[in-house]
Amino acid sequence: MESKFPGYRLLPYFLVFPSIAVILVFLVVPFVQAVIQSFYQTSPFGGVSTFVGIRQYRLLFSAPDYARSFLATWYFALLVILGGLALSLFLAVLVTRKVRGLAFYQVAFIWTYALSPAVAGIIWALLFDPAVGLGTYVIQRLTGFSMNFTIQGSSALLLVAGASIWNMLGYNVCFYIAGLQNVPRELEEAARVDGAGPWRTFWRITFPMLSPTTAFLVFVNTIYAFFQVFGLIDIMTKGGPGGATEILVYKLYRDAFIRVRYNYASAQSVVLFLIVAATALFQLWISTRRAVYLR
Amino acid sequence: MRRIFAVLVLVVGAVSFAWAKTTVEFWHAMSGSRLRALEKIVADFNASHPDVEVRPVFTGTYEETLTKFIAAYRAGTAPHIVQVYEVGTQTMIDSGAILPVYQIPEILGETWDWGQYVRPILLYYSVDGNLWSLPFNSSTSMLYYNKDHFRQAGLDPNRPPTTWDEVEEYGRKLIEAGVVKNVISFGWPDWQFEQQLAIHNYLYADNENGRSGLATRVMWPDEFSVKVFETWTRLAQEGILIYAGVEYDPNAAFTSGAISMLLQSTSSLDGIMKTAKFEVGTSFLPRFPGEPRGNSVVGGGSLWVRKGLSQTELRAVWEFFKYLGQPDVDIYWHKNTGYFPATNAALKQLMDERWFAQSPNHLTAFLQILSGRQDSAAALGVRLGPFVEIRDYIRTAMEKAFSGALSPAAALAEAAEKANAALLEYRLALGK
Repeated sequence: MESKFPGYRLLPYFLVFPSIAVILVFLVVPFVQAVIQSFYQTSPFGGVSTFVGIRQYRLLFSAPDYARSFLATWYFALLVILGGLALSLFLAVLVTRKVRGLAFYQVAFIWTYALSPAVAGIIWALLFDPAVGLGTYVIQRLTGFSMNFTIQGSSALLLVAGASIWNMLGYNVCFYIAGLQNVPRELEEAARVDGAGPWRTFWRITFPMLSPTTAFLVFVNTIYAFFQVFGLIDIMTKGGPGGATEILVYKLYRDAFIRVRYNYASAQSVVLFLIVAATALFQLWISTRRAVYLR
Repeated sequence: MRRIFAVLVLVVGAVSFAWAKTTVEFWHAMSGSRLRALEKIVADFNASHPDVEVRPVFTGTYEETLTKFIAAYRAGTAPHIVQVYEVGTQTMIDSGAILPVYQIPEILGETWDWGQYVRPILLYYSVDGNLWSLPFNSSTSMLYYNKDHFRQAGLDPNRPPTTWDEVEEYGRKLIEAGVVKNVISFGWPDWQFEQQLAIHNYLYADNENGRSGLATRVMWPDEFSVKVFETWTRLAQEGILIYAGVEYDPNAAFTSGAISMLLQSTSSLDGIMKTAKFEVGTSFLPRFPGEPRGNSVVGGGSLWVRKGLSQTELRAVWEFFKYLGQPDVDIYWHKNTGYFPATNAALKQLMDERWFAQSPNHLTAFLQILSGRQDSAAALGVRLGPFVEIRDYIRTAMEKAFSGALSPAAALAEAAEKANAALLEYRLALGK
């Protein structure tokens, strides 16, 4: 390192020290503690603590609740990522066309991101309240289906996914608009001159050119679907009904802070860390290999 | 010079006076109109006790308050007093972090007559006949109904249903008359299940409902609990019963007139009476005929004192507790929240003021709990370590049974298996 900073042997270490310290104190130390805790069984107030080996992990992997939570997480993440990105791309393409009131639409779509999950959750929960919700009423009028997301698991999951997509829409649309504006006009025009229709132009030219944006958004939305939807779930369903919307991070929270089973939750946090790390590495690998970057 | 000296004396006096003030930190979970009532009581106490300052801190929901207390206790920064909901009672008893309330007067060299508290409430928070936490905001569940709806359906507004058969019969009439689409809903659904077992004198868990020792298993599914679940599922499938979420979520459906009946905590009484634009009736919880009688169970919260307070701090806490028991304070609390007054003296004064004649709905739950059995563990209520978790499982079972995903008996059996595993984990964690 001295070769890069001649004469200042210790300065670089000194400069990175604050960041390293923050990471150590707030990320590494708690993580190590979680790993250690996951091998113990402790009473709620911390009076009694016994080493139990891998018992918490054995419990975890034999619990049907955990398997269900695992599946719900993936199902939910796929809905939010695929549904959310498809919808945002569609809307972004629409609002980059030459239409009257373009600026208004662009701002209107970004708006939803400005609402906090708590507010969005309350709006959606009220809209689909089983007894007094407007949405429930409209659905019943149109299809005859009486939707009650407080007892129907799939209704609840779809509803929370809908709210999550809606809440994140602004962010995604924003990035796609920027991405679309960066697609060189010449390429599209050249394709049109060669006789390609709009559909073909989009899939063969525009969509591949957007792949860096898509790769980035898939990554951000994965983190969103795994962790940040916590607020929406807490407001709307609290993981219910019957655990249908209890995704991994929400289950971890309930086990740790509501049911006061810290060790069991510690084991879950270790497993969740491994899952997310593996997913992130996989996506990084895919996106660096597959995405098309203009140089 | 003399004047300066006099000023100095005054300043020093004032400073030492301020130093002598004992601060008592008090964490609670009271929000909304209950928060205002509580803050008024604390402010009045502070004004009348210049040497003590009670600092009320709103620490979120009951669940959050308990979690924060546990975290603070482990970090050594726990408050002097914490309000814990009835569900957390066993966790607090087992915590080793608590000074039982009954020991406080002894330590301070006083005597105190615990008989002045209303009996069922006193019994709920007692272990082997000794009170562990101070009864503060106690409630129970009762039936709320919309008298206007009853009139519209041609029902007698002064004859609310007594049995579940009548709930069903009235429900059909209300739906046929086109008054409502759904008739009844439950606040705190998991707690309503506990109430049904208790008012029919059935045990919820072994070891006398966990009152004589740590519970090792739940008693359901047995014949009676399956009957409760089957009845509710049938009502749900007929559209009479609508599951409209947890805690206070279903209140909106009742006050807006979307449903006609509600089983809910008495603590909602004031909120419902203020919001509803119809005549609100209240009555005892519906029963199953031919089954034994128990009592409705106390819910709400109580105040716990942290272990390891100094003598002065303990004295301050005790002064505050005694203040809360004064009839005027107790009555103010009752009238502004709907929670039970905790002492017999307050109850007498309310009666003498003809309060119950003016507002008979405030009497309903009281009559229900005072007229029920108080001598059986089943009627006194359940004490479980992992109670929050077990309530989760019961709610899940209800959701699964009502939506038809599982049969009522199978849903209960699934919940029981998980509940028993949770009870085992709790005992292991305590090393017992």
